[in-house]
Amino acid sequence: MLDLIGSLVAQDTTTRLIIDVALYFGLFVIVAMALNFQYGNAGVPNFGCAVQVIVGGFTVSAITTRLTFALVQQGGMVLKPYSSDFDWVYNNFYNVDVIANSYIRDKPFLGISLLLFSFAVALVLGAVMGWLISVPAIRLRATYLMITLITMADASQIVGRNIVGISGGTLGMFVPNVFEWYPGDRGVITAVITLAIGLISFFIFRTMLNSPYGRLMRAIRENEITVGSVGKNVTGIRRNILMFASGITALSGVLLSFYFSYVIEANFQRAFWTYWPWLMLMVGGPGNNAGTFLGCALVTLMRRVIIQYKWVLDVYIFFPIAYLEDILLGTLLIVFLIFRPSGLIPEKLLYIPGVNYGKMVREEVKVDWRSAPKAGEGKGKGRFSLRRKKKEGET
Amino acid sequence: MSFIPAIWMSAIVYASEIAILSIGFTLTYLTAKIPNFAHGTYAGIGIYVGFTLTKLYHISPYVGFPVSFVLGGLASILIYLLVINVLARLGGGGIVLTIATLAIQIFMTAAIYIYAYYLNRAFSTYAMGFMLKEEDFKLGGYQGIFPVSFAICIVTVIILHFLLKKTKMGVAMRATSEDLELSSVLGINTNRIQIFSWFLTGGLACLAGAMIPMWFMSNPSTGAAMITSIMAGSLLGGLENIYGAIIGGFGVGLSEILVTAGLQQTVGAWVGEWRPLVPMLILVAVLLLEPRGLNGVYERIKASRQKSVK
Repeated sequence: MLDLIGSLVAQDTTTRLIIDVALYFGLFVIVAMALNFQYGNAGVPNFGCAVQVIVGGFTVSAITTRLTFALVQQGGMVLKPYSSDFDWVYNNFYNVDVIANSYIRDKPFLGISLLLFSFAVALVLGAVMGWLISVPAIRLRATYLMITLITMADASQIVGRNIVGISGGTLGMFVPNVFEWYPGDRGVITAVITLAIGLISFFIFRTMLNSPYGRLMRAIRENEITVGSVGKNVTGIRRNILMFASGITALSGVLLSFYFSYVIEANFQRAFWTYWPWLMLMVGGPGNNAGTFLGCALVTLMRRVIIQYKWVLDVYIFFPIAYLEDILLGTLLIVFLIFRPSGLIPEKLLYIPGVNYGKMVREEVKVDWRSAPKAGEGKGKGRFSLRRKKKEGET
Repeated sequence: MSFIPAIWMSAIVYASEIAILSIGFTLTYLTAKIPNFAHGTYAGIGIYVGFTLTKLYHISPYVGFPVSFVLGGLASILIYLLVINVLARLGGGGIVLTIATLAIQIFMTAAIYIYAYYLNRAFSTYAMGFMLKEEDFKLGGYQGIFPVSFAICIVTVIILHFLLKKTKMGVAMRATSEDLELSSVLGINTNRIQIFSWFLTGGLACLAGAMIPMWFMSNPSTGAAMITSIMAGSLLGGLENIYGAIIGGFGVGLSEILVTAGLQQTVGAWVGEWRPLVPMLILVAVLLLEPRGLNGVYERIKASRQKSVK
């Protein structure tokens, strides 16, 4: 059935667009959901999503490709040399596209196990990277964390550009197509798997948020001093959150690499993999998984429509369309911050099985500290007060 | 011929620019309590003000310095009034304001790119990568910008010191940065102070930006790419101390060029590619060793000295 759909789909460019939208939707669902987990629920402002995604890409290019080559050589096929930097890039196309792919073609089991192997390594390496980027600033104020994470994204790209053994430097490199055994279009199966993983991550994060640990996370977001005073290790929990979310985010890098069958550091730009997920989070509503889902869908659709109708706009504008996208991104982000600070779907009270949370809390509890106080509310409405007003009962 | 090696001259020019930018970053952090990620992008405005005046109207780039100071200040005020002030009044916390500055950075970088493309098209000049070195005057074998940038840095520091310590405006600014509500109770017009400090930071950043193309190759994203060095300089200085930011910015700027050049001579030419990692390593080292930067070290030394006197 799947291969029938695939063969039908590959011929049509409009359905090609649908595959593309589905794939990017799936990828951004993974990234934005993990971001929601970090920022929306635990209050860790992670501006380093690009680092976490790049780990996945580099896993595929540096580890899975080498493993495939070793397996192919064990299978009796002769590869051109690939040990030196020059050979690694120069013979890459022949080794991957001619030898390795034809070796995988009649071995679906090998393809699937390579994919699973990439996922497992990316999860572990992503968690390690999450620990590494958390080392300098996780115990300090949020400002320092933001500053370090935003510089890490550039640093990871520089590493990828200059160490040729990782991803072929500035030229990039091809990676084995693990879906070579699939008779139809590679895009279809990648998109389906991406959407499935996005859905799985949605349910994983949903379950985690309803667990005691999730409530602890929200408590840290609301008031970390209180949580620390009752004996919880705030720094450790923050670090765990960053590590877990890093691992999940790295999966999207793996999937992107297999979709393109090509890895280059320029694909993992900070602007793309950090700012767009932030916009999705802000549009949908931080602290709310369903909102993030909606935000992802809307923003991905908007971007893809702009790209699709680029030729219509190209007549009127004299600059590359990417800058129009950037301007839209910036404007939308600010507009949503000012007019809908809690997003399209505001955060709701947690559903905890067996506990009627709404009844327990009599008065209206403002769970979302980002929501703006209404005009004329409260007496001390300082015109130019920069500080957020204290809630009732807060000392 | 000149007695100072060219690498030292370019290091000092770059360090002066980074120092001025770090001062602005620190001032913003003091008054608004947010790291302004758009601070490097202000420098981009300065770069293109200089380009427009010099290449299109054939005016000396030095005339462009005050113009870019005023224009950058106005842009900064606009940003404060339209975005930061509105969000702050709505009760957005520090993280929300920081996200807003990121959005501004994306917006402004794209706007500068569009302006450069417009220049390309309308005036058929190449505005995507340029230098204004040939427009500079010569002073005894030196490029004019070398003494001028250093002098501007020193003069900026002296004027800021005078402003903050001796004038009423400066005292009010310091009070506002300490406690906004208390200072407004004491009768300080905090809104005017905020607007003034945003004007100052934007203007200083644009002034530094106008100096960049006099020595270095510039393109629309040059300013935005400098933000790592600026933040490293500010953090090295302690993030809450203007005098620390001067030393920190100068140190980061000097080390970024001199360390890279030294390693290129000893290790190999490939080190040049890793230059952006130098400010990042400084940043990480500061956070790991002493998160309060040089300011913290200074305070610790002062405290230990007082103890030994007792």
